[in-house]
Amino acid sequence: MPSFIVHFAHYHEDFCLAELEALSVLEGVKIGYNKTSYSLDSPILLIDVESPALAEKLVRRAILIRSISEYWGNGSTYDELFAEVKKTPERWQQYMQCSFKFSVEGFGRSLTQKEKVAVIESFSFLGFQGPIKMKSPDAEFFVYEDYGKSDLPFPAEKPKHIWFGRVVGRGSRDLVDKFDVKKRKYLGNTTMDAELSLVMANQALACPGSLVYDPFVGTGSFLLTCSYFGAYSMGSDIDGRQIRGTAGFRRGVDGIKANLAQYQLAGRVLDTTVFDICRNPWRSGPMFDAIVTDPPYGVRAGAKRLGRKNGTVPEKSFRIVDGIENHRRDDYYPPTVPYEMSDVIADLLGFAAEKLVVGGRLVYWLPTVTDEYDPKDIPLHPALRLVANSEQPFGSWSRRLITMEKIAETGPANVLSFLNKAEHEPAHKNFRDKYFSKFESVSPTDSQ
Amino acid sequence: MRLITHNMLKCHVKNCTDPDKQFPLRFKDVQLEQIEADRNDEFLVRMLPRIDWAALLKTAKELNIELPDKVPESPADDGEFLSTLHTVILETHVKDGSMVCDGCGHEYKITNGIPNMLLAEHEI
Ligand SMILES: C[S@@+](CC[C@H](N)C(=O)[O-])C[C@H]1O[C@@H](n2cnc3c(N)ncnc32)[C@H](O)[C@@H]1O
Ligand SMILES: [Zn+2]
Repeated sequence: MPSFIVHFAHYHEDFCLAELEALSVLEGVKIGYNKTSYSLDSPILLIDVESPALAEKLVRRAILIRSISEYWGNGSTYDELFAEVKKTPERWQQYMQCSFKFSVEGFGRSLTQKEKVAVIESFSFLGFQGPIKMKSPDAEFFVYEDYGKSDLPFPAEKPKHIWFGRVVGRGSRDLVDKFDVKKRKYLGNTTMDAELSLVMANQALACPGSLVYDPFVGTGSFLLTCSYFGAYSMGSDIDGRQIRGTAGFRRGVDGIKANLAQYQLAGRVLDTTVFDICRNPWRSGPMFDAIVTDPPYGVRAGAKRLGRKNGTVPEKSFRIVDGIENHRRDDYYPPTVPYEMSDVIADLLGFAAEKLVVGGRLVYWLPTVTDEYDPKDIPLHPALRLVANSEQPFGSWSRRLITMEKIAETGPANVLSFLNKAEHEPAHKNFRDKYFSKFESVSPTDSQ
Repeated sequence: MRLITHNMLKCHVKNCTDPDKQFPLRFKDVQLEQIEADRNDEFLVRMLPRIDWAALLKTAKELNIELPDKVPESPADDGEFLSTLHTVILETHVKDGSMVCDGCGHEYKITNGIPNMLLAEHEI
């Protein structure tokens, strides 16, 4: 198979390979690459794909990939690179007369216009005679100078490595701007940022014809991104004010509905409903192709479940308030108790194991304490296979984007019984207490 | 709320477990609305096994909506059927009203298209 140069966006590095793998499944494009050749220090990865057309298809929905180029050469010096390029002169022939352009980019050091021109001129041995066209040329060539780590005070004089190829496809990074939370009519203090919400839609394989559900929907970020990619979606939340937009900031703009109108997604975001996921009204059996969610960490918006601290007092439902039974009042809100993080996650896995169709995916955020993290903390379930685990670090704690796939049908009876709750206490247990007692760092929403 | 969602929700009050009564929920005092939605036949066909047809039929009758008694043998090739299905489950909305459980009498309110499925303290 021919080789292609994948140019990743240098953000969320730990998510890049996971997204690439998800895209390969989503687009049905076979890829081959050497896992060890990817390092968080460089945004370049060499992969094998059957054809340029398939390479283009592979990355068209990518959020963490800038471009993909047909590989023409690489080297630790320009002499090495040129020698490599000169091995396949038959490749140059079809570009002799067409319009073209070169883009030159440096990683770990920015290049001046003068330096870029010098680089382009050094490729004159290719002998291209067509006109140079900056806007939509027939062929675009890509030169990438890698100077190593991007945060050094004195970058290296010479690149460590140089890559050269012909651009065949681009990702969809423009969507990060389109869905920028600052541009949304409605948002709340736990609204997930656009880039990660989009990546989650890819991890979930959200696509035309699929049904996606978010049980902790909040302001609905994932409904937007999944439905943008063609999926139908639904969400629910224990707090109807999040859905309606009657609490927090940006009140009174009509909540999630305002964003559906803004992004013209009301035709695919099917419904949002109010209930506690612990007491959910879904009829039994598999229904969803994906569950995409950010469970409440209990840091900002605390996780709650219906109940009362020292047992329920059913009589309170029936007390007469303003002339009618309490629970029949329009503004009746049942009492809630804290919902412990490890229970939230265990319940979520059990729920996904029942409600996903086989082959469906669960994509969710799991907070972990850095010092105590043990891969054993990732909750498992016999019906779910762990597909990806990508870390976004915040110093003393991290959140991990976990992707799982339902591999088998399970009876409701064995749900939860096998979670190794007793044997192993995960680091996300009592996450809220740990968060407030010993971390100085801020939550992701605080830092925005 | 669309009828596809209604077809997926049952009464979940504690001790209300008679499968013939907790589902489908009966609409009461509802205000319907037709809103055009994006049609995707592949989606409709994929949803068919996840839809409880008998329940959908019952609800449609209550609302005076026409629906074939049976799903055709090969729905994927039946454009007319898919068109009806699309209109019924994706374009028919309940704007306001409620859903009542015939088992326990719980009335789930729908306000501005958003159903409130929370349970009261005596129901959990
Ligand atoms: C982290 S926020 C989700 C934010 C959302 N991803 C967004 O972009 O706006 C978690 C949500 O879970 C809700 N929640 C907490 N406990 C719940 C429960 N038991 N059942 C359903 N929702 C719950 C909270 O009201 C909150 O809106
Ligand atoms: Zn009932």
